[in-house]
Amino acid sequence: MRVALFTTCLAEALAPRTLKACVLVLEHCGVSVEVPTAQTCCGQPLLSNGLPLQARELARRMIAIFAEFDAVVTPSGSCCSIVRERFVDLFEPTDPDRAAASALAAKTFEFVEFLQVKLHVDPTALAARGGAAVMPAFTCHDACHLRGIHRHGSTAPFLAASGCNMRELPDMTQCCGFGGMFSTQFAEVSTALGLEKLAHVASTECSTLVASDTGCAAHLAGLAHREGVTLRVISPAEALAERLGVLAREDFP
Amino acid sequence: MNELIAPNLPYDMMPRARAAIADMHLQQFVGRATHLKDEQRKNVFGDDFGHDGYDALRDLAANTKQHALDHLDELLERFIERAQATGSIIHAATDAREACGIALDIAARHGAKTCVKSKSMLTEEIGLVDVFTKAGIETVETDLGEFILQIDNDAPSHIVTPMIHKDRASAARSFVRVLGSRYTEDPTELTMIAREHMRELYRRADLGISGANFLLADEGTAVICTNEGNFDLSVGGPPVHIVFVGIEKLLRGARDLAPFLKLLARSGTGQPLTVYTSFVKGPRRSTDASGPKEVHIILVDAGRTGILASEKRELLRCIRCGACLNACPVYRKVGGHTYGSVYSGPIGAVLTPELNRGSPREEGLANYPDLPRASSLCGACLEACPVKIDIPKFLLHARAELRDRSLSPTSESRALALWRTLAQRPMLFRMAMRAARMHARMLGTHDGGIAWIRKAPGPAAGWTSSRDLGIATEQPFRAWFTEHSAQRGSS
Repeated sequence: MRVALFTTCLAEALAPRTLKACVLVLEHCGVSVEVPTAQTCCGQPLLSNGLPLQARELARRMIAIFAEFDAVVTPSGSCCSIVRERFVDLFEPTDPDRAAASALAAKTFEFVEFLQVKLHVDPTALAARGGAAVMPAFTCHDACHLRGIHRHGSTAPFLAASGCNMRELPDMTQCCGFGGMFSTQFAEVSTALGLEKLAHVASTECSTLVASDTGCAAHLAGLAHREGVTLRVISPAEALAERLGVLAREDFP
Repeated sequence: MNELIAPNLPYDMMPRARAAIADMHLQQFVGRATHLKDEQRKNVFGDDFGHDGYDALRDLAANTKQHALDHLDELLERFIERAQATGSIIHAATDAREACGIALDIAARHGAKTCVKSKSMLTEEIGLVDVFTKAGIETVETDLGEFILQIDNDAPSHIVTPMIHKDRASAARSFVRVLGSRYTEDPTELTMIAREHMRELYRRADLGISGANFLLADEGTAVICTNEGNFDLSVGGPPVHIVFVGIEKLLRGARDLAPFLKLLARSGTGQPLTVYTSFVKGPRRSTDASGPKEVHIILVDAGRTGILASEKRELLRCIRCGACLNACPVYRKVGGHTYGSVYSGPIGAVLTPELNRGSPREEGLANYPDLPRASSLCGACLEACPVKIDIPKFLLHARAELRDRSLSPTSESRALALWRTLAQRPMLFRMAMRAARMHARMLGTHDGGIAWIRKAPGPAAGWTSSRDLGIATEQPFRAWFTEHSAQRGSS
């Protein structure tokens, strides 16, 4: 099985450690990933902001770039859901790329989903394999777009079973307020939602938040930093990599 | 009509959104109530049907309503024929003015002076109370929430819980002021005070008005779901009753009603069923103890056939349960009045521009350019919708129309065009990223392996209005991966 890492523009720009963690955890599970160099952006910013035809051009690039792979894995719940849920409808029924879009949708997975659904990784077996003995407590906010691929709320239980010390985040199902360009168009509303999320995080007394999308992570980490709140925001892949001991846990000030 | 739900057009959402965000009371009331209702919805469906059963029920309702919409012409004909056979008088109105006009004629013919009205979103839509009041007909909202809003000269901000933005204390004050009652915040006492006031009105009223939740074509019957019994009193007392109903409320018949009754109250308030489910089938018969001598049903279009003919027909499945409002993070923060329309929240954001397209059918979004953008596209609305309306999809459609008609900011369009150009050229894309990283490393404050930008330029300025922008300073992923792969290859 040839597996490609769909890196996403946002993770490449803001969160390289997330991508490193994806590679290392997958290798730990016996899967070597490839990183197609031509990939850029899946087109979500264009699609979400009223440019479906332009998004379709980028969707065509995605289809071509990942054509030769058997599976495509991404740490972004949001970009994953766009490929899975919205790509097909970008193409007219007569467009030959419509079938190709369906094929790409069928083989694209969010990182934790890939481990669980495609690789059938048993998290308790991961836990038994050792790794970091003492883990700090994490709490987890799932990206809203995981709803569309029926994975909303799946991340924390998987991490817990794999030996992460998880604490439940109150009102997890409410959006963190990121929403792509919504975060700047309706900055006040976005901020208010983010601050509410941070208050819930604070109530768990965890200093590390696992967020299953780079956008949500950047929004919440940026808000926390502006507010002077000490909070480390990491991806599920980083949480697992730290748990498995394949990525050194950074000491956070 | 109240400016809160019928503002000057085009409507600028931003001032009210900002005011709402600054209003901690509003957020407390709305946030608490919506969270509670949303939680109750999830619990009652989980307990009664399980996850899969809930999903199957939503599929059944979605398909049933869609089928009805796809055959609306037939159903309308059948309904009119059967309803007339029961003795109801059927009227058709293409718009708000016509609908109100028909009702005024009926009222005038009977010399009506006092009208008791039960809750109806459609009558809000067409501004009926204003028209009647101006015509000198005392028109009283009998739903407790709507009654309080009416005496406060306020407007509903939620489809099901109209006074969600107010608290008991303000209701108590209004009762003292308008009804001269003693001050109490006890909900039972408040209800009793309202009841006493209403009973007198019911006795006096010579006209009853209501909406309808469903129309049954086979039976020619209107179905009205309420919790307070006020509908039954308003239909039971006065000699004449008028039902206002949108044509999209049609179902084939009683055979299709059950899934909707199961879904409506559970979705809206977490109750298994509304307290009252009333069926209006013609005027009082000789064997009936009470009921109006005349029943009029006004079938209102007001933009519906336009939606029916468009690719947005699915929107007409909406049964006005309010579940999407309760689930929506944005609604929870800004409340209903921020949407500047009778219908607020996610469904309002997609429905309002469509209902307000008018003639020519192009105005809609130009009048409400902010509505489709006021969403984080989180999908909670679709998850909560009992008839599975893909609201996020329609928000995307509306955003595309905004862009096509140059109704969204050009600065955004320029930034997106640049992004599109870069994203098609991987070399250039990576160069731009590298430049951004270097920029961040030089200008940012370094903290925990991250360069933090406090004030970003250009399109990112909105971001740093309230948040820092953190860019990791460690080795970029691609360079790391090249090294990592080489090491693995050699080991």
